[in-house]
Amino acid sequence: MAMRNHLNKFLISFFQANNCKILHNDDGIITIQLTEKMDKVLMNRPFYWHYIKKMGYPGDPMQLTLITNPHKREEKGEWIHFGSPRLQQIIRYLQENEKYTKLFQQITPIVHTPLYPWLVTNIKISYKGKYKRDELFSIGLNLINGTMKSDMMQTLAQFPLNTTISDFCYTLSPMIKLKSGYKRIETVLDQYVESQDHGWAVDSLQALEEEVKLLEHFYKTDTEDDQMERELEEITKRYQPQITYQVVNGGLFYLTMDIA
Amino acid sequence: MKSIYLDKDTAFIEELEDRLEKNTSLSSWELFRMAYEAEQTTMSPYFRGLRALEFLPHMEFLKHQIHTAEQVIEQMNGRAILADEVGLGKTIEAGLVLKEYMIRGLVNKALILVPASLVNQWEKELNEKFYIPAVAYRKNMSWEQGNIIISSIDTAKREPHRSTILGMDYDFVLVDEAHKLKNHKTKNYAFVRSLKKKYCLLLTATPVQNELIEIFNLVSILKPGHLGNYDSFVKSYGNDRKNMKQDLYLKQLVKKVMVRNTRKDTGLNQVKRNIETIWTEFSKEEAEVYQWLENSSALLPAFSKITLLREFCSSREACYLSLKKMLAEKPELDVFQQITEKIEQLPHHKKAEKVVDLIRQIGDEKVIIFTEYRATQFYLQWYLQQHGISSVPFRGGFKRSKKDWMRQLFQHHAQVLIATEAGGEGINLQFCNYMINYDLPWNPMRLEQRIGRIHRYGQDKDVHIYNFAIKDTVEEHIMKLLYEKIHLFEQVIGDLDAILSELSIHDLEQEIEQIYAESATTGEAKIKLHNLSAVIQTAHNTANQEEQQYGDA
Repeated sequence: MAMRNHLNKFLISFFQANNCKILHNDDGIITIQLTEKMDKVLMNRPFYWHYIKKMGYPGDPMQLTLITNPHKREEKGEWIHFGSPRLQQIIRYLQENEKYTKLFQQITPIVHTPLYPWLVTNIKISYKGKYKRDELFSIGLNLINGTMKSDMMQTLAQFPLNTTISDFCYTLSPMIKLKSGYKRIETVLDQYVESQDHGWAVDSLQALEEEVKLLEHFYKTDTEDDQMERELEEITKRYQPQITYQVVNGGLFYLTMDIA
Repeated sequence: MKSIYLDKDTAFIEELEDRLEKNTSLSSWELFRMAYEAEQTTMSPYFRGLRALEFLPHMEFLKHQIHTAEQVIEQMNGRAILADEVGLGKTIEAGLVLKEYMIRGLVNKALILVPASLVNQWEKELNEKFYIPAVAYRKNMSWEQGNIIISSIDTAKREPHRSTILGMDYDFVLVDEAHKLKNHKTKNYAFVRSLKKKYCLLLTATPVQNELIEIFNLVSILKPGHLGNYDSFVKSYGNDRKNMKQDLYLKQLVKKVMVRNTRKDTGLNQVKRNIETIWTEFSKEEAEVYQWLENSSALLPAFSKITLLREFCSSREACYLSLKKMLAEKPELDVFQQITEKIEQLPHHKKAEKVVDLIRQIGDEKVIIFTEYRATQFYLQWYLQQHGISSVPFRGGFKRSKKDWMRQLFQHHAQVLIATEAGGEGINLQFCNYMINYDLPWNPMRLEQRIGRIHRYGQDKDVHIYNFAIKDTVEEHIMKLLYEKIHLFEQVIGDLDAILSELSIHDLEQEIEQIYAESATTGEAKIKLHNLSAVIQTAHNTANQEEQQYGDA
């Protein structure tokens, strides 16, 4: 996965995309001049910003030195690695704030060229019973002709995309509404999920049943109804098989005809 | 399948429509793509296995710890008694289980109940070792807001906390020293049972202390009915804890909810420890200085005197530097001037001579020397060099790279490594199996850490430990009354932690200093020290007898 193998590159891109200046980048040590926005996101000093703004000063965003090279972790700075709180903080920030988009494929056409609207959704499916497992799907739906494509993120990575439309391009209006488009995607996922082997759920239900039986036996002679109710609930919570769809992020993409 | 709940995301498409309409807060391609990548790294593609391990590259877990965490999650579905023998890392196993659940998004809210004296230690370990943002409960904190809270059970079960806590839905509850829950008639027991919890870990090295019903009570917190109900349990098994050993079926049942690793089956015990005390005596001149310092009580705060005495047993230099510093700060103590001068005149320290003899006896083998004092470290390095023995220094405060470098030098070039601190995660020196404790720490945990540098996984030779002590000094008291009496050298002393916490002693070293400071005579100090050891020993023996009851042997 890109991030794990190229953490250094990932971080540089992250900070650059957030308009931070990279002051130093050498052999796994990066120093970044944060912007005010990123300082607020990462440095956890709300009081500073509260007071400095109250006094009418612009404030002085901090610099941050991150070490991605484990052999250098004794140098001055923060060792950042896959599990470190700093990286988790950045990941959470991305997950919470980069969820929605509208993008246009960038081309330099000679004639007026139409761009087709696509609904792209990256959806995580979680299977939770005794244990939990996740799957991630990237699905695109052409909102004109209903063509559906999987691994959409890989396809999108092949050409330049921007938030503004290129010259000589124009967009086609969707024939399929966003909401019904999203329904179509869900339906396909439903079919996929239906066709899966659900041994995990059978296992979980069996465990659920067994523990409920034990519980009933335990309370046969007792009259602690509340306690038993509560424990039944706990058991159900722990074992009840459940499948969750969660959209990680998604948006509307305008793409040339030949991408499909 | 009808019996599977399906939960779909309806909010997303609404929000997307809204934002497109307003044309605001839309991501750039770069950041959009990165958020997707980020998700790829946080999801868990497989049901099995521990994802936590890749999140914690700085930790070196032992095999049995990883195996235990897997077993708790995969076979026991997150409800278990962790009953490892002391010193095998129950805290580590519990931390690993919690971390795994957090990574998989199964635990957000957790309550960790531990003895009051261990609250801070738990907080530190969970944060530093596991990056779990756990906070110790402090006055006026809100139980609703904190996600991972550590508290003593005494605080938690008191109003007004009690009602608030019982109203919460916890994903994870942990109780350390869970043998305190063995009696189902106590408030502690009732409290823990009525907590709303999904996953639950009970940590105890002694799940059955007196009566067999204790194990029934513990299991009933985790899995009511697993051992039947109260009446049927008493009827089938009686209340003699020996039955646990005899009844195979019961043992099998208990094994489904309890993990117990022993030193024997983790293979930690195969390498033998040879321990030898090396006695020396002060020269006449040294003894005079020691006597003089010993009689200086009237002039000095008791703590300073003890420190000077300890230092003098280690090296002239250590004591000399302290005296100099003291004189600079308090010129009125000028009577110490003459003793300082006397120290300057002394020939070599007796112990240093012994060290050279001993190293020559050992021959070509690598040797680690531990001392409590930097000044002694410098002196020894110089002294060994005078006798043609090569050595390198080591301190906990060295940078990682310097530590590695010193380790390299020691492994390939120098015969001796002189260290001042074991430094918890300092270095591992399995290639060496001789250790000299030039002076003894007063906290046996630190001694265990020292020995742990060489007596650990990967050590395939027997280890030899030499402990230096000078007769008729404070060193002799500590050696005889503390270490030898409690057999601290032979046994790995993991349960000392539990014993001390039971006695409400936070820091043994401080406790002993206190004893010396508050005693009018050396004799009085010796008696108090003797009493302290006796108590520890009794507690230890009791714990040991328990061991036999539910061991697998």
